[in-house]
Amino acid sequence: MLRLVYLYRNLTRNNMRTALTCAAVALPIVIYVLSTAVIDGLDRFLDNAAKQLRLVVSHRASIINPLPSGYRSKIESLDPERTRLRSVCGMGWIGGRIENDSRLLSTLAVQADTFPATFPEFKLTPEELAAWHRDRQAIIVGRATASQFGWKVGDRISIIPSLPPYTPMEFHVISTAPHAADPVTNFCRLDYFDEVRKEADVPTDIVSFFFVKCADKEALDHFGGAIDELFAHSPDQTRTQDEKAFMTEFITQQFDLPTNLTILAAVTIFVAVMAAANTMSMNFRDRINELAVLRSIGFSGLALAGLILCESLLLCGLGGLIGAGIPFVAFNFTSLKELTVPVIQAIIVEPNVCVEAFLVALAVGVVAAVWPAIAATRLTVVAALRNLE
Amino acid sequence: MGLPISYHWRNLLVRKTTTLLTLLVVAVVVGVFTWMMGFASSLTRSLAVASDETKLLILKRGATAESNSAIPIEDFNRLNQLSAIVRDEDNIPLLSPEMMAQVSLPRARDGGATFANVAVRGVTAAAFKVHRNVKLLGKGFTTGRREVIVGQAAAKQFAGLNVGDTIGLGYGSDRGYKVVGHFSAGGGPMESEIWGYLPSLMNAYNRKTYSCASLRLSDDADSAAAIERIRGPAIQLEAKTERQYWQAQSAGIRRYLTVAYALVAIMSVAAIFSIANTMFSTVAGRTREVAMLRTIGYSQWRILTGFVFESILLTTVGGIVGCLACVAWLSLVGNTKDMFGATNFTTLAFEIRVTPAIVLWSLLSVVAVGVIGSLIPALRAARTPVVSALRAP
Repeated sequence: MLRLVYLYRNLTRNNMRTALTCAAVALPIVIYVLSTAVIDGLDRFLDNAAKQLRLVVSHRASIINPLPSGYRSKIESLDPERTRLRSVCGMGWIGGRIENDSRLLSTLAVQADTFPATFPEFKLTPEELAAWHRDRQAIIVGRATASQFGWKVGDRISIIPSLPPYTPMEFHVISTAPHAADPVTNFCRLDYFDEVRKEADVPTDIVSFFFVKCADKEALDHFGGAIDELFAHSPDQTRTQDEKAFMTEFITQQFDLPTNLTILAAVTIFVAVMAAANTMSMNFRDRINELAVLRSIGFSGLALAGLILCESLLLCGLGGLIGAGIPFVAFNFTSLKELTVPVIQAIIVEPNVCVEAFLVALAVGVVAAVWPAIAATRLTVVAALRNLE
Repeated sequence: MGLPISYHWRNLLVRKTTTLLTLLVVAVVVGVFTWMMGFASSLTRSLAVASDETKLLILKRGATAESNSAIPIEDFNRLNQLSAIVRDEDNIPLLSPEMMAQVSLPRARDGGATFANVAVRGVTAAAFKVHRNVKLLGKGFTTGRREVIVGQAAAKQFAGLNVGDTIGLGYGSDRGYKVVGHFSAGGGPMESEIWGYLPSLMNAYNRKTYSCASLRLSDDADSAAAIERIRGPAIQLEAKTERQYWQAQSAGIRRYLTVAYALVAIMSVAAIFSIANTMFSTVAGRTREVAMLRTIGYSQWRILTGFVFESILLTTVGGIVGCLACVAWLSLVGNTKDMFGATNFTTLAFEIRVTPAIVLWSLLSVVAVGVIGSLIPALRAARTPVVSALRAP
């Protein structure tokens, strides 16, 4: 009990120092939470990609080279019973934007009949499915895109594709894909886009890539090689990867966000360690004669080290609590989420990330206390007391 | 008279642990800041090269990038009627039809573990007149053979692009093209490209249309009017100045940079707190000393500036260490970066360089951090009540 009071008194006797240190620990923890949240979001996305047991077949020469949409039946013929190779869905990149708006969309035109089976994680409701199959102009918009542009189910929207013929296409929003892993991308029907292309006399029946849903891991590994073999002697050779590898390649090409954020998080934690260690060493220096008095009245060196460690843990724990608490509250309980900034919308601050950050803060406290604690155990009373001016 | 520099210097040396730890905080923050500034400025410099206001990029209406644009040859020919185009000595308009494709090439920096999409541009002789900053470093391609030239940034960052190498281009990547020379483009985005003869590449890629075109306006031409004319009923194509085009392509990366800057700003605030903490402790530990200085005639102002100076000294050393660490990191880990355009799906390769201007900026901001962090503690020192401080045990 006495020790707790002593700890509390120690923390409050230099409020300015305590406050500054808490803040200097809290701010890096905020950065840690945010960057971990972003990395986790990407990991979740990639893990979902891996869990879905899908292969992506693209043109071997380059991802922008199209593949003939007839490749689908050839891929399907590898397993006519459809026991190991569940479904094949070809899709074409359309990109797109809306009239008088410079913001770019990510839209894919997909083969409508196999899309729901290939992407079961969308969990389309029976009504949505019915609308999807009935209406050639149906579009499933990404939920983040929907909130950014104010689109709702039932809306009619017009998108200008970024590919020939570049003429505006009318769509009917049938879903905002609440369960889709990617909150940004829109999906429309390839037969509608082909119709538009045919009218404009632009080459049709081409897709950017095929997504192949497999029954199990073994089938995934098998077909990964088998598909490339199938097209090895055709004019359009293919490159088949599992979905995770395909997506990872995309993400690292952008800015290599995961690596850069990990480095940033590590660097910030280092800043927190230095700041806390600085305070602990200043505290030690200021109280060296006090510690000597405690030694001389019978506290062991280990007990003093324990006191220093506890103080450091308390200090950094407090900073960690603030640092982990601010983003947690801000992203879960305030209107920040309603901002239509895609970067912010993509961040999910989960409780476990905050707990992890708090533990990191405690670890910072331990590291910061190491040197003063060791120095305390080695303290020679006489020398320390003699230091007393 | 101000306090001598050695006074502050020695004071910093007395409290070695604290000084070292504060210095490390500053060094780390500055190191990260310098790296980011280097990244941003390399990107900006590369794009600044591509901001020739008299050069227009022509795309098909609705296309967002050269690589997803398709201009039929008859559409292209309509551009000839534009009067604002410069003509060369043979009275031929400086109008360059171009085709964009791409090839997946291994990155040199990780030994070919990852691939990047490198732009392949089919050009004619006109391109070398329209893109004024493109300079051949050695031989150019001949029109009769399968030959290409490679931008020097691409040659450095992607494997298999040395002079004499053969790369597989064409729709199936199955036509061997020989690299016969390299070229520079003043550090601009074209240095990340591979150039070959347009008809040969169009054949290799099964293209019947051009992708895009570029043209040069006369110096006194009004580019806005020319763009309007190209959009108008007579030509019906989309024109953009080079700057507009590349600003749009780098929009995504600049958004990431904004976020990264915000995070570094948070880190800088943490550094300010850390410095304030150190300075408060320094001031508290030297109350009697300050009172003594006041008695022998140093003014409050001198004391204030003295402590601020001490903080600046500390942070500047930290800043220098940070900048050096950043330079060391870049030379150890490598300074080559490439980024993806927002809609062209091709790679823009560039090198992060720490220039004197960046170092200067980093040090200036570190001085600012030192001043902000020490102001309140220094004020407290300046206001030390002399008599009671001297009387204190």
